Amino acid sequence: MLVKLSLNSIKSRFKDYLVLFFGLIISSAIFYMLEAIATNNQFTEGNTIISSIKFIFQFGSILLGIITLVYVSYANNFLVGMRKHDYGLFMMLGAKKGKVSQLVAIETMFVGIISTVLGIILGISLTGVLSKLIMKQLGISLKHFSVIYFPAIKITLILFIILFLIASILNIITFSRTSALTLLRSSQATDWKKASNLKLIIQSILGLVLLGIGYFALCDIKNLKLSSIPIALVTIVLGTYFVFNALVSILITQLQKTNFGQKRLNNFTLAQLKFRIRDYTKILSVVSILFALSLGAITVSYEMNHQVEKYANVNSMYSIAVVNPDKNIKTNIQKLSDASVQQYDQITTKNRIYYNKSQINARPFEYQDVNNSGEIKGIKKASIRELSNPNSTAYSNFLNVNGYSSKKIIFVSDQKFNSIHQKVNHLTLVKVKHTTENNIILDKIVAMQSKQLKVKNVENLPGSYGYFKLLKGVYSGMEFMGTFLGFAFLAMLASCLMFKILSGATDDRQRYQMINKLGAQKSTQINSIIQQVGLLFLLPAILGIIDVIFGLQMFDQMELISDPYSDLILVLCGFLFVYLLYGLVTVIMYIKIVLPKIKITK
Amino acid sequence: MNKKILDVKDVTKVYNSNGSEPYEALKGISFSVDQGEFVGIMGASGSGKSTLLNILATLDQPTSGQVMVDGKNLSNLSANQMAEFRAKKLGFIFQDFNLLENLTVRENIQLPLSLQNIKAKLFNNKVQEVASQLNIQDILEKYPSQISGGQKQRVSSARALVSDPSLILGDEPTGALDSQNARELLDTLNDINEQGVSILLVTHDPFSASFCKRILFIKDGQIGEEIKSDGLSRSEFYQVILDKLGTFEQ
Repeated sequence: MLVKLSLNSIKSRFKDYLVLFFGLIISSAIFYMLEAIATNNQFTEGNTIISSIKFIFQFGSILLGIITLVYVSYANNFLVGMRKHDYGLFMMLGAKKGKVSQLVAIETMFVGIISTVLGIILGISLTGVLSKLIMKQLGISLKHFSVIYFPAIKITLILFIILFLIASILNIITFSRTSALTLLRSSQATDWKKASNLKLIIQSILGLVLLGIGYFALCDIKNLKLSSIPIALVTIVLGTYFVFNALVSILITQLQKTNFGQKRLNNFTLAQLKFRIRDYTKILSVVSILFALSLGAITVSYEMNHQVEKYANVNSMYSIAVVNPDKNIKTNIQKLSDASVQQYDQITTKNRIYYNKSQINARPFEYQDVNNSGEIKGIKKASIRELSNPNSTAYSNFLNVNGYSSKKIIFVSDQKFNSIHQKVNHLTLVKVKHTTENNIILDKIVAMQSKQLKVKNVENLPGSYGYFKLLKGVYSGMEFMGTFLGFAFLAMLASCLMFKILSGATDDRQRYQMINKLGAQKSTQINSIIQQVGLLFLLPAILGIIDVIFGLQMFDQMELISDPYSDLILVLCGFLFVYLLYGLVTVIMYIKIVLPKIKITK
Repeated sequence: MNKKILDVKDVTKVYNSNGSEPYEALKGISFSVDQGEFVGIMGASGSGKSTLLNILATLDQPTSGQVMVDGKNLSNLSANQMAEFRAKKLGFIFQDFNLLENLTVRENIQLPLSLQNIKAKLFNNKVQEVASQLNIQDILEKYPSQISGGQKQRVSSARALVSDPSLILGDEPTGALDSQNARELLDTLNDINEQGVSILLVTHDPFSASFCKRILFIKDGQIGEEIKSDGLSRSEFYQVILDKLGTFEQ
């Protein structure tokens, strides 16, 4: 009988359950996708590039596991919030606590298992799309990759079942400790106390000072070195907490006193917000910090991937260095766009490689100058003196185009060069303006070259292209993981916030009914909801964006990325689009739950 | 002749009118309330009291018939006009106070004025005025959780009065109060009424009803009988009501 009652009440709240299912399905689908790729041997071991970034995938899946744990706990709270009243009623009608606990557990597991299974099915179909994307980005093709990967299904099922099992146990404890009456009246319980002004002011100042210290630490990474990161982490986390706990409250109180605050429902809206913010401090802080980390991770990985060419050029300005290129290689070199080719004669003896000084002086060897701390100083033309100095950057670059030969490199005069009666070889150096645009032809050239030289890994070939390919693989992998995890985190965070807000919606129903009776127009009430939910979404995003702006300073100061802000706007737009979409869904759901429908039956 | 503040004509309300089992909650009710009158509506549970009150409060619309408040026909109003009408012309006092617990007493009282977009400067005086009338000046800055039930209902009354409504609708306003506080509230309502404010009180409590000048008994969706205090003392009228209820029971 109770099961039937329970099923009936699920039916009547189908829309609320739909949101819950939707959120959980997305989260298990995301988890499956990552696992299907990260743990898939066909994927990670079939390719040297991917096997070198396997650790990034594993790190990603651990992070995702942690956020999933947080996510499930919020989703569970939402579920419990919906059911408290019903279960209270069952107990009131004489249902035994044991029976009710059993129902609670069955319902939690039911919701969990159904949504996980549906999530895996969705995940399988999305993995197809995602794997094509990642293969394209990494420039590889996999023949035997299958989107259905049983170990990933197993891991996803096990993780979610364990999480829901824990949730069920926690729910049983909650329900068995609470009396029927408390459960019935749960929606009426309010705990509105005015916080002391002094406490709020102290907390606000503390919050701002802590944030200031954190931001300063990020900007001053050159002096603070590695200690800047832990300082910033601790101060920004605490600062964010205090800002949400106190400063926002104070600002709202001040706003309430203005003329704006007294207009229409503004006072009510602001009071609702003030009431909420203190209850939401923790989640808003977490959302803000993780928003910043995700946005920062995407921006940085995106920027780094764009700078691979620059990093690769540290080894050599020349993409290709080939001795006596055959006809095939020559034709391919001619096909390269925006390429400049230069050639040096060389004579190789048993222990030495000879170069003609005048030839090098006529068309100097170029290299990217780097100082002791690894900062790139610009492109320089090497003198013979620099090329002969084993401690110079020019020398190591020249060694690279000579395939790191163990033979001694010697620069000699025209006369001397011509007097050596040995075969003269031609070292052809090819410099391209845009490596990525020429990658197909460059791939062909290095393939031919590695066959000739019997070199297995392209990164060991002379010239920078092989190294570029290796770096590109790692950074593309990082960019992919950064973007995937960034958006996965964002989706989960936004839905945590959504569940938190919607869990409180039922309590708000009565307030809006009251306001309706007092004569508030429906549009005014909708505006009030948009403002409330909108601000709860926007506040952590604003603080998160400020965090990122300062956080990127760290990369700028360290000169790890030359212009870390260049793609920020683009990434931010994509980010805000997804985030605000969740905000919009929350507003719509909230309005549906809260605003009374006026039935006019004439 | 006195001005009619409320005029209800042949109002019916049918629930599930298109369905297989339509239910007629109001069966052609007609009555009126004059300016400055204190009228009670009594009836048992399910008699149609709440349906009638919801229609008068513009929270619901009648299936047929007409309701005029202060000369305005409610059936011609749009949803927004109804909301505006509620804010300007009606004052509500509910059984469970219906105060917003996250607003202070002052903010609760001024809410109907804020909704009409009246400037803060203008309504501060009005809030003070009703607060002293109901003797709650000292608790204006407190939150509802910090005051007693009796005080809450006085705040609720102040909120009903603050916009100078044409009609105050009371829905079992003493239902959640102890006898002492209930008595005080009814005395206050009586004072308000003597200042010329029209009040319509829906109740099933004979003691509360005895403060009214005229009582309409509603039964099975129809007005059954009407009694007037007509110079009787409050306790004598109370007795009349009890006798009348007795005959209803039979």
